[in-house]
This record gives sequence, C-alpha cells and structure tokens, in this order.
Amino acid sequence: MADLALPLSGRRLLRPGQATTILAGTILAAAVLGGLLAPWIWPLDQSAVDLGRTRLAPSLEHWGGTDDLGRDVLHRSVYGLRVSLLVGAVAALVATVIGGAVGGIAGVAGGWVDRVLMRIIDTVSALPHLLLGIFIVAMLRPSLYAVVLSVGLTHWLSTARIVRSELLSLRSRPFVDAAIAGGASRWRVLRRHLLPHVAPKIALATTLMVPHAVWHETALSFLGLGLPPHLASLGNMINDGQRSLLTGAWWASIVPGLLIIVVTLALAAVVARWRDRLDPRVRAELEL
Amino acid sequence: MVRRRVLVAVPVLIATSMGMFLLGAASPIDPAKQYAGAAAFTMSQENLAQLRANWGVDDPLPVQYTRWIGNLLRGDLGWSTSRHESVTAVIGARAGWTLLVIGLALGVVLVGSLLLGTIAAYRRGGWFDRALRAAAYAVESMPVFWLGLAAIAIFALGLGWLPAGGLTDVRADGTSPADVARHLVLPVTVLAISQAPWFLLFVRDSVADSLLDDHVLAARARGLPGRVVLFGHALRTGLLPFLTLIGTHLPELVGGSVLVETVFSLPGLGGVTVQAALGGDFPLLAAITLITTVVVLTANLLADLAYAAADPRVALDG
Amino acid sequence: MRRFRLRLAAAVAIALLAVSACSDPSASEGGRTDGTLVVATSGEPDNLNPILGYGSDGGTLLFDGLVARDASNKLIPALANALPTVSPDGKTVTATLRDGVTFSDGTPLTADDVVFTYRSVLDPKIDSTIRSDLDMLATVEAQDFSTVVFTLKYAYAPFLQRLALGIVPAKAFAGQDVNKAPFNRTPIGTGAYTVDSWTAGDRLVLTANPKYWGGAPANDRVIIAFVEDDNVRAQRARAGEFDAAELAPKLAASFANVDGYRVEKVASADYRGVMLPFGDPVTGDVAIRRALNQAVDRAAMVQGVLGGSGEPAFSPVPPSSEFVDPTAVGKDTADATAATAALEGAGWKAGSDGIRARGGQKAEFTLMYPAADSLRKELALAVTADAKKVGIKVNPEGLTWDAIEPRMKSDALIMGWGTPFDPDFVSYQLFHSRFAGQGFFNPGFYKSPATDKALQDGRDHADTAARKAAYSAFQKQLAADVPWIFLTYLQHTYVVRDSIQGVSPRVEAHDHGTNAIWWNIRTWKAA
Repeated sequence: MADLALPLSGRRLLRPGQATTILAGTILAAAVLGGLLAPWIWPLDQSAVDLGRTRLAPSLEHWGGTDDLGRDVLHRSVYGLRVSLLVGAVAALVATVIGGAVGGIAGVAGGWVDRVLMRIIDTVSALPHLLLGIFIVAMLRPSLYAVVLSVGLTHWLSTARIVRSELLSLRSRPFVDAAIAGGASRWRVLRRHLLPHVAPKIALATTLMVPHAVWHETALSFLGLGLPPHLASLGNMINDGQRSLLTGAWWASIVPGLLIIVVTLALAAVVARWRDRLDPRVRAELEL
Repeated sequence: MVRRRVLVAVPVLIATSMGMFLLGAASPIDPAKQYAGAAAFTMSQENLAQLRANWGVDDPLPVQYTRWIGNLLRGDLGWSTSRHESVTAVIGARAGWTLLVIGLALGVVLVGSLLLGTIAAYRRGGWFDRALRAAAYAVESMPVFWLGLAAIAIFALGLGWLPAGGLTDVRADGTSPADVARHLVLPVTVLAISQAPWFLLFVRDSVADSLLDDHVLAARARGLPGRVVLFGHALRTGLLPFLTLIGTHLPELVGGSVLVETVFSLPGLGGVTVQAALGGDFPLLAAITLITTVVVLTANLLADLAYAAADPRVALDG
Repeated sequence: MRRFRLRLAAAVAIALLAVSACSDPSASEGGRTDGTLVVATSGEPDNLNPILGYGSDGGTLLFDGLVARDASNKLIPALANALPTVSPDGKTVTATLRDGVTFSDGTPLTADDVVFTYRSVLDPKIDSTIRSDLDMLATVEAQDFSTVVFTLKYAYAPFLQRLALGIVPAKAFAGQDVNKAPFNRTPIGTGAYTVDSWTAGDRLVLTANPKYWGGAPANDRVIIAFVEDDNVRAQRARAGEFDAAELAPKLAASFANVDGYRVEKVASADYRGVMLPFGDPVTGDVAIRRALNQAVDRAAMVQGVLGGSGEPAFSPVPPSSEFVDPTAVGKDTADATAATAALEGAGWKAGSDGIRARGGQKAEFTLMYPAADSLRKELALAVTADAKKVGIKVNPEGLTWDAIEPRMKSDALIMGWGTPFDPDFVSYQLFHSRFAGQGFFNPGFYKSPATDKALQDGRDHADTAARKAAYSAFQKQLAADVPWIFLTYLQHTYVVRDSIQGVSPRVEAHDHGTNAIWWNIRTWKAA
C-alpha cells in the first residue's frame, strides 16, 4: 500500500457506487471520530498490563482477544489507529506547509525560479523516501516527533506541485489582473484572491497524504524505529504480534492489520468520489 | 537534456548529503559508544574517551564534513561502527542480493501485470476484471510487512512448503542457485504482489483505452484475431507510459525491499539499513542512502531516455 | 457496494487462511547432522579478536585462555599447565604454559604470545573494549619461553578469573594495526575449531581442529547462524534448520509439543531490576524505594513475562553463587499491605486521583527502558502496574541507549547485569560510590560507606570465609538501602534437537555470547 495516490490513476478505475461511498464514508467517519473521542468513550491506560489474562482468544468479552501481556487487542488497535491518524494529520500539515511554501514561491515568482524549483521537485520525488525517512529517524532517535518530521520532510512534493500549478493558472485570470491593476498589494492578492481558490486543492492533497503518513508510521514502528514500543501503535502491534503468530495467538497481528486495511480502503473510496469532482488538471498534478 | 538533468541532480545530491551530515552531527549518538557495543556498559570513561580520540569525532564540523565527502569521492566510504567492517565491504557483500530481489520482483510485476492487465482490459467489466481490481485494491491497502508475515504464517509455518527466511540453507556450502531460488520465492512474490496494483491497474486502464483507439478499432474491423489486436496493437500503444511508471516507482520498490528483507531476514542492504539505523551507524546509513539515491536517480533518467527513444514525439525538456 | 464487499472478502479470506495455517504448526524434520552441528544465536560478535574484547570470559571455540571453566564454572588450567600461582601479597601472579600447544597455523605457543595479548589490551592506541577489566594489571612479562609473570597494582582476589581471555599469536600481528587487522575476521587461535568462513549477518562456519591439544572434536563442522530477530529465529527453528537455538522464553515454550526438539532452561546469573536514582525527589526517598520493593509481584513477572523461565531476584549475587546470603531476600509475591503501611508511615498520603503525595510532591517518576528490548519493556510495564496499586505513578518511557544515558542520574531505568564468576565482577562498579555517575556504573549515585567497605573487603581478602562475610554484609546493606529493585533472574532458554547428546549447561552470565549452552559443543554427539 505504498503509494495510495497512484493506484487511483486510472480514469475509470474506481467509480464507487453510492452505497459504497456511504459505507466507506461511515467507516471513515467512525474511524476519525473514534480516534478523536477514544480517550473519553473508551479510555485506555497505555501502560496497563494484566499478567493473569494473557493470550486469550477473541471472545465476547475481548472481541480482538488479548495479547502477550493481557491487553485487549481491539482496544489497543483503536488507539493505534488514533496515533496513526494523528501522526498522519500532523505530518500532512508539515508537508503542506513546506509544499505550500515551495509551490507558492514557484507559482508567484514564475519564470526561471519556477523552472528550477520544479526541476528540484522532480529530482527530490525520485529520492527513495523510506530510506531518507529511516535516516532522519535514526539520527533524531525514534520518537513521535522524529516520525512526524521524517514523513513531513519527504512528502511535500505533490502539495507543492498543486499549489504551484493553481497559482500559475490563476495568475492569468482577469480578476487577478483587475485586483493588481486596482493597486492591491501582492500579499493582499495572494490572501484575498488566490488562497480561497487554492485551499480546497490543498485540502485534498493533505487528505491524500494521511494514508501515506499512516503507512510510514506503521512501517517505521514495525522496524523498531517509530514510537516507543509500549505505546499502542498499529506498527508496534503488528511487530509484537509477529511473536504471537508463533505462539498461536494469531489475533494479535491480524486485528491491527485488518484495521489498517479497512480504513485505508474506506479512505480510498471516499477520495475517489471527491476526485471525480475536481478538474482534470489538478487530478493530473495529484497523480490521481 | 541529460546535462540539464545532471545539473539539477548534483546540487540536490550535495544538499542531501549536507542535510544528512548536519542531522548526523546534531544527533545525540556517540560513535565511540556505538563502536564499543555492549562492552560500553563495562568500560571506564577514560577508556571511552580514548576510543573517541582514536575516531576523531571531536573535530569541528566543517573539518569532519570535508573529510567525509572527500573520502566518499575517493571511494573510501568509511568504517561501519555497527558492523565493524569497512562500509565498502558491507555494501559490496549485500548490494547484489538487494538488486537481485528488486530486479526479480520488478520482472515478475512487469510480466504479471502486462499479462493480467491486458486480459482484464480485454474482458472489461467481466468477472476477471472485477476480481482483479478488487484484489488490487485489497493488496494495495495491506502493509507489505503484514503481507510478508501472512505469507510466512501460511506457506512456511503452516504448509511448510517454503523456508521462512534467510538466503540459503544453513548447512549449504556456498550459494547454489537452486537453494537461493527456493529461499527467494516468498520474498520476491510478496514484494511483487505489494507493488503490483499500480502496474496492473495502469496496464488494464491504458490497454482498455487504446482498445477504443481508431487504429485498434480499424485492426479489429479488418478481422484480425483478438489476440493479435490485443497484444500487437492495443498493448503496444498503452505500453509507452509504462516506462516512466517504472522510473517513478523505483523509490517505492526500494522502500518495499527494505521491509521485505527485514521480514524474511535476507542478507541484503535493507536488513543492514535497519540495523544501522537502530545502532545509529552514520557512515553506513549515510552511504547506503546516498548510493541508493544516486542509483535511483540514474535509473529514472534511463527510464526517461528509453521513453524518449521509444517515442520521438516526447520532448524531454518539459 | 458489490465491489467493496469483494475487497473485504479478499482481506478476510487472507486473514482466515493465516488463522487456519497458524493453528496447525508443522512438525520439524528429522535430525541428521552429517558431522555438522548448526546452532543459532542472536548476538553476532563484532570481531573475533580477544584483544578487542571477543570472548573476554572465555568459552570461545576458537581460542583458549590460560585458564578455562568446567561444567560447574570452576577454574581449570587450559593453556597454563596448572592454575597460575598467586604470591602471598596477592600482587604477583605466575603462569607456566602447557607444553606442545600450537596455534592452528602450526606456530608453537610461547610466553611472548601471552605477553603480547595482555599488553595489547592495555595499549591505549588499540580500541579494546575490555581494558577497564584489567585495571589492576601493572605489567606482564615473559620470564622465559614458557613462564609469564603478571604484576598487579593492587591485590585483586578474583584476578585468575580474568585469565580466561583467549591468547592470540603475536606473529600474526607483526606490522599491523590491531584495530583493523584481517585477523579480526579470520583469526588464528589454539582452540578446538578454526574459522572456515564468516558471512556477516548470516553465519560463521567453523572447522574442527584435529590437532587440538584437548583432543580432536567429535564434530567436523560447527555452523553458528546469526539470526538477530527472535521471531525469525523461532520460525527457522520451527522449520527444523537448527540443532540448537537460543530463544526467548515464551517462544521456547511454544516448542514444548514440537516433535524432535526439547527445551533446555539454563540457570543464569543474569538479573533484571529497576535502578532508582538518588537524585530524584521521589525515587531518592528510601520509603518509596522500600515500598516499591515490596509492591512488585516477582512471581507474576516470572510467570507472565518470562513464561516461567526464571526466578525472583533480591540481590546481585545469584542463587547459584556460594556467596549468596539467603537471609537478604524478601517475598516472591507482592505485599501491598506492607508497602502501603510503609508509605503511609513516611507521610505519603493518597490524593483524590489515587496517587500519593507528600508536601506537594507527587509520588510519580519516569521509568526508562531500552526500546529494542521487549523483555525489559514488559518488565517496565509490570512494575508500572504494580506501583499503581500502591498509589505510585510510574511513567514508562522506551528510549535508545544514547537517549537513556544522560538521564540516568534522575530517571529510573530497567537494567540488567550479572555474572556467575565472582561477586566482585560488575557489582563493585555498580554499587561502589567511587564509580558514582561513571556512565553505566552506579548511574544513580548510590553512596553508602557500609557498602563501599563490604565491596572493598571482598576484593582485598583472598580468604573465602572473609569474602563470604563481606558479601553477606553487602547484600544486607543493599536490601536496606534499595538502590535497585531486583526483579528476576532469567533462565536462558534454548531448544535443542532431541537426538543431541552431551549437552552440559552451566550457569550463564548476562552476556552469554561465547558461554552459551554450546560451550562444550566439541563433545556433542548426534545419536
């Protein structure tokens, strides 16, 4: 599931029906709401263990079973999802700030600045980003911030491309010319006229970034380079669950894995719907 | 064209190397401690200080950076603090296996996706098409390491058909091709499957599109057999953009191979990268990252060149 | 909708497949060894050079020290023809070499090789990681062709234990930088095996040395497979690849009903505990430390975390040691009542949130653990849960060692040590005030004159009864001051192919790299 943006590349690939979209939207809403509200609805003591109830198979009491330390797998998976989405959202914001700045400079300045910046973006997009991410985390030492930074620093490219192409196309529109002719400052034009047009596309790019970031976080955590291992994170749980596969407690890695899959699929379906409403040029920039 | 690309690539590489060096310098890792490993716990402070002096890690940053880059350019990649070997030796012994895994996986992906994608396109909307797309979506949302674990659970632990990891049988003398092949079946398949959705859907889509192209329709109208139309005409038209897709997907493949090698404990660059990262082994990690970057950039360039060669209409200056 | 269901169905199908696969663990294949034994371990040595620290406690299959240890860890002569003699003042140690020993390249062993080995360890230009182990060594001289004299700076009772270090041939290093010599990967020793090949990250292949002075090994070849990841090692062991493998306790337990393998649990001196720094207002308070010591449920940790492969720990002197003081132990299970009473008595009163406080100071502290170590993570969580029951809030934090180190003087840490060879080893550095704050030695700044004196007495006296008294005093003082909460001694767990005979486990140290269960593999036989 490395690159969620690309598989939607076909023009007729995925045009989910109404029902699918509603189901996907419900799942996504439940995931996001659940993730946001979990501490109030279903509080979890991250460091609680129950050595008397280890490795219980899924049952009515523990839908996802319990792990090696007697912790409820489903409960921790929900928290893992919360962490993943949080990392995803923050990393996407970091990426948007960097991408917005670079794309903004390219789009507003135009000319050779634009050409050079775009060429740089092309080159950077060819860098192996998981390796760079690993390098960043390794040097900053594994932590939440390092993961967020490593995803943000390697995933700002599509945002930059969108912002830039939007700005370039807007620059030639009459209302911008009029505003400039009317004596408005560059900053004011940018803020009042350009930003409102660019913002929805940035929002889409940011949304698309979230599954990327989730993937990155789980991959890094799985490799032992992510969040501290006692915190519930989907990557950590799958990593822990690796041992359970051998001791027979298969549910410990299946449940968090399924959660990632279901939520990612739901997100893909919803984004596919959203994508249909965009104009094709932006879709191309997003590599949709 | 090539010159212009290189002109951008070189500053990006330099900037990357500087960024990496600064990160390394800012990191709290003490290379002397990394060197000593577990023994650091039973070493006295003077003992450690002496190790640090031997390593020259307390020199000013520009001095260290110049020394590092100078050494890199001269081909001396430095000394791996986690593996206690020269970085060149580590990479030399392992790069081949990584290339093999990535190469094989890419081959499987290309052949498989061309074949399956074309068939799906031909019977667009049929059960095969729908099943394939559903599978592509399911696979695409599965983390590759999870897929790997599932494969081990089923085919190695459950059915006992294939080894769970490693490159050769542990008793084997040397590396016999048959032995290696048996050990690579699972990792290569997992890596290929995890990367397949993009290629598969791409082929399926562009072939489906080109089946509606005039010249294909014309060929059909002339009464040419379906297979000839499909593979001779439609596929060829849809194939060109495929080349660039390979180029842009190399970074994904590299990332996937790191995870697959870790899950299957293959002695390639991926596994050692993770160890180096956990051990804070700057020289090894930096060298692997930089070299991979250069290789991927070059491969990208080659893919574009091939595209240009195949299709003269494409101006590469864009 | 249909499409979505299909996708879900595919995912579920895969999950179900995995499920059915896992519930049917396959049996291993039968054991054939054809003169080759394969053992699997997590720890790959950094190099194979004793000067740089390889096998400093002996047990290597490639080298011999002047002395070695038998199955009960008693010192026996190896390259020395008898145990070296110690002068009455304890400062001069003389060793005479065994006759007729040659290195694997045919060079005869001489006193010069011994001198070269020990002088190199002391040489500051060489990156030896064991120099501080030989802090007491002033000079080492060859008196004649086969006699070596060690002169010590101060009397050191367990010095002979330090002579298990492997001896290297001086000739092999002529004109070379020891730090980067090819010898480090393709060594020449006097041992029972020689290196055939070493594939980094994969395996070390050893060939029997038929001219070994102790008798030709019973096996032609030994392959040591390096599989760092516990799970992968278990997977490969399950596939029948290894004759013996080191496995984490819970994974080893999963082999209990696998045909063809048996589980070996080996006693060790390897303990885990919580280091409580004196620089923190909460962990520095003796009432808190004593209460925690009573509140932890060691028996539950042995069962829940170690899968039964261990025993409760109360001091750094292992139960297997003759120096252990059986009176300096506490209860195996938690005693929440006593802990609560102690806290109440010291003025730590429960607040509205259940956490105790005294004079505005909350009973709360951070407990660090190395993130890559799942055993220590689980112990940290178990301690956290137990502390919560008596109103002490512990915040576990998983970090890398370099992040842990600068914080050790103010934050608690799950640590592990232990060696069966002598009570002075490591304990002196860990608990003597002279080492306070020196890296990983006494990081919590524990300072007790009584402990200092006991440790010094144990080191200075050569007489066993006097040493026993000293270490008894040491253990009692630790139990009173609680600078550490000792949690468990581990059993090192291995799976061994049923057909293998001659396995003779001995009490293992914290670092069991070269002293693992296969220390005597040269006499193992496959039936």
